[in-house]
Amino acid sequence: MEVAAAKLIGAGLAMIGTIGAGLGIGVLVNGAVQGIARNPDASGNVQTNMILGIAFAEAVAIYCLVVALLILFVG
Amino acid sequence: MEQKKYRFFGIPNRYFVLAFIILGYFAARAYPPILPHIQLPAERVSHEPLFTLPGIGPFYWTNTLWAMLLVDVILIAIALVVRRAASSGSLVPSGFSGAVEGLLEVIYNLTESTAGKWAKSILPFFAAITLMVLVANWIELIPGVDSIGILEESDHGYPVKEVMPGVATIVKGEETGHGGYMLVPFVRVLSTDLNFTVGLALISVVMTQVLGVRSLGGKYFTKFINVGGLFSRPIFGVIDFGVGLLELVSEISKILSFSFRLFGNIFAGSVLLFVIGTLVPVFAQSGFLMLEFFVGLIQAFVFGMLTMVFMSQATAGHGDHGEEHGH
Repeated sequence: MEVAAAKLIGAGLAMIGTIGAGLGIGVLVNGAVQGIARNPDASGNVQTNMILGIAFAEAVAIYCLVVALLILFVG
Repeated sequence: MEQKKYRFFGIPNRYFVLAFIILGYFAARAYPPILPHIQLPAERVSHEPLFTLPGIGPFYWTNTLWAMLLVDVILIAIALVVRRAASSGSLVPSGFSGAVEGLLEVIYNLTESTAGKWAKSILPFFAAITLMVLVANWIELIPGVDSIGILEESDHGYPVKEVMPGVATIVKGEETGHGGYMLVPFVRVLSTDLNFTVGLALISVVMTQVLGVRSLGGKYFTKFINVGGLFSRPIFGVIDFGVGLLELVSEISKILSFSFRLFGNIFAGSVLLFVIGTLVPVFAQSGFLMLEFFVGLIQAFVFGMLTMVFMSQATAGHGDHGEEHGH
């Protein structure tokens, strides 16, 4: 196989890891919205923690993205 | 209160938007945009290295350094405007300085509710990092950034055409290979340079340790090397020791996750803008610019807030931080 083609396939495969981050963010926001619906007064606190959690979950997706970008644009 | 009319020179603003869309259509027909050669490290502006460090290598002036200077100038200008408003004597700031006051009030309340009495030590890092990253990300939204620069010969070049004396544009055509030209922009978005994000992450993580030592003294290091219970509680002491080592690893991985989160988001954003600009040259980019506006805001806030949370955890001591945060 040509190297260029293998690079494109590899970059696509690297992005599979974002499934996990998507599921994680979905579960997080699900919990946060239920929490806010039950206790709207705590919405500020819940939102802050939700954004923190999303940032951690998203970091995994960003690692995949960085790997894909490295495969595509470096070397 | 009378509703404000959004007018410029007596013409409603929506006509300007329409005019720009039509103008953009003809501009894109005349000079179709091409996908630039995307590269991860920042482009060098100077050809001779500024200085060379033995063992590390030469250092060049890059176009992200121009963006750094631009960000600094903008931040200093904001500071001067707010300072003049603060020293003018009126207790209620108005307009722009009022907006800055609102932002800082939100940041301060968040810090105080999380960090308690250490809020005054932690706030400067939170506010400075948030403001700096915010301005650095929003540089992307200024027209001309990433698209105006010097044409240089490159291996992946395209033919060029002179529009005015001294001003040329790249024409869409076959990649000419060697001998063609490629654009090296004057200013590239600061957060797309890994050096900047790693630098900020190092500042954040190192200052977290400093604040931890300042609040707990030498006891702070027992969080990492926990030999206290090793002999008194045979099994749990060993587990505590292992957990301490994991804390040490997680402290180092914080640098990685901080720097790659910001870099990955903003770099992917600018690649997205390049690709959309090439595929649909008219108007479509505006929607994605709005997306980038939000991504820039959220990433700046997340960087600052994570710094703040880690710092308040470090100052709180390990008696009351409950379950471990594994990430």
